[in-house]
Amino acid sequence: MNDRARSSQREAALSHVDGLFRLARRLTGTDADAEDLVQDTFARAFDASARFEEGTDLRAWLFRILRNAYIDTYRRARRSPIDAGVDTDDAASPSPGDPLRGDDDLERLRSLVADDIEAALARLSPDARTIVLLDLEGFTERELAIVLGCAVGTVKSRLARARATLRSLLCDYGS
Amino acid sequence: MDCTSARELFTDRRRGHLEPAIARDLDAHLAGCDACRRELTRDDALTSALERLPRPAAPIGLERALREKWVPPSRPARSRVRWGAALVAAAAIAAGGAVVVHQTAMRSDAMVAEAINDHLRVLYSEHPLEVESGGPHQVKPWFSGKVDFAPVTAFGGDADFPLQGGAVAYFVDRKAATYVFKRRLHVITLFIFPSDGLPWPSLGLRPLGRARAHVETSRGFHTILWRDGDLGYALVSDVDEGDLFTLALRIVGG
Repeated sequence: MNDRARSSQREAALSHVDGLFRLARRLTGTDADAEDLVQDTFARAFDASARFEEGTDLRAWLFRILRNAYIDTYRRARRSPIDAGVDTDDAASPSPGDPLRGDDDLERLRSLVADDIEAALARLSPDARTIVLLDLEGFTERELAIVLGCAVGTVKSRLARARATLRSLLCDYGS
Repeated sequence: MDCTSARELFTDRRRGHLEPAIARDLDAHLAGCDACRRELTRDDALTSALERLPRPAAPIGLERALREKWVPPSRPARSRVRWGAALVAAAAIAAGGAVVVHQTAMRSDAMVAEAINDHLRVLYSEHPLEVESGGPHQVKPWFSGKVDFAPVTAFGGDADFPLQGGAVAYFVDRKAATYVFKRRLHVITLFIFPSDGLPWPSLGLRPLGRARAHVETSRGFHTILWRDGDLGYALVSDVDEGDLFTLALRIVGG
């Protein structure tokens, strides 16, 4: 890769810094840790830039690096939400046959404030949080599969379970 | 279409990605399924709730720091040329007896620039460590035979500043024993090298144990330079300056 291509890749990568910071902030819980995580992400990306293939999805590649950096750092370093969160792969989520929980839940959802939503998100497992938040950022299923390291076909069901679990958690909040 | 299949289509429906035939099937299912209709209403309410979340931008300083650090590899090489030019300029000024303060500032800049560029090479190297740390008694002996001096440091890492490992690098024109420490997610590089013949800063030095250090911040990195006997030390990182100074004190043994 020549200097111009490298410079162009750097600018393209930097255009995703806001999204990376937002996800890092909601994974780590603090601005300072989020900044560290994003810096670590860019250091790793730079280190691996020679292996990045032109034409592949830079955004998904960067978010995958961030996710892996988060797992590497926090799973080793401390007891974290990664251990304590609700893993939507295992958690019971409302099944189609479940009786409706009433319109009160719907009203609660509509009355939630941002703090309630942040608190409920923090109770999800990191991967569940990641898939919900990146879906909100407009990631495609193919991009989500790259970030999470799973098959495209798995993304849809994982996203549905994560959102169902979040909705269930959100019913504990609100008026 | 059963309820499970219908609900897995909610995301595509929300994104407007459903093919017309599938959208018609889903609508038909929803028309006859009160449970899924309510489920869809709740899913839409969840989307609205999530969209109310603030979307903070990254701090201004973060992008600036990344831009400064994520330099193309060729840039340090150009810095080495600038370093050479600075030496020539400094020598010319010294020979002409020009303003001492100006001369010192140029020399200081050159030493700091060299230290930062060497730190960047460590940071962005695919294999920055030639020896992984199993403690100071593993790293220090590793340098034997690889550099023509015995690196002296009173500190071999602890819980605050774990030693990651070591490598041999170049500082200006000579080999340097390189120690890599960490502070949380920050990488800290210590270069130890023969101190002779280098334009060490001499003004504004701060006490550092038994030594006196030059402390400077440039391009978002803090650099601490000091001499101890025949050896020179350069400690570089983007970690908090106070933390870096604490580490320097431990290295000096002060």
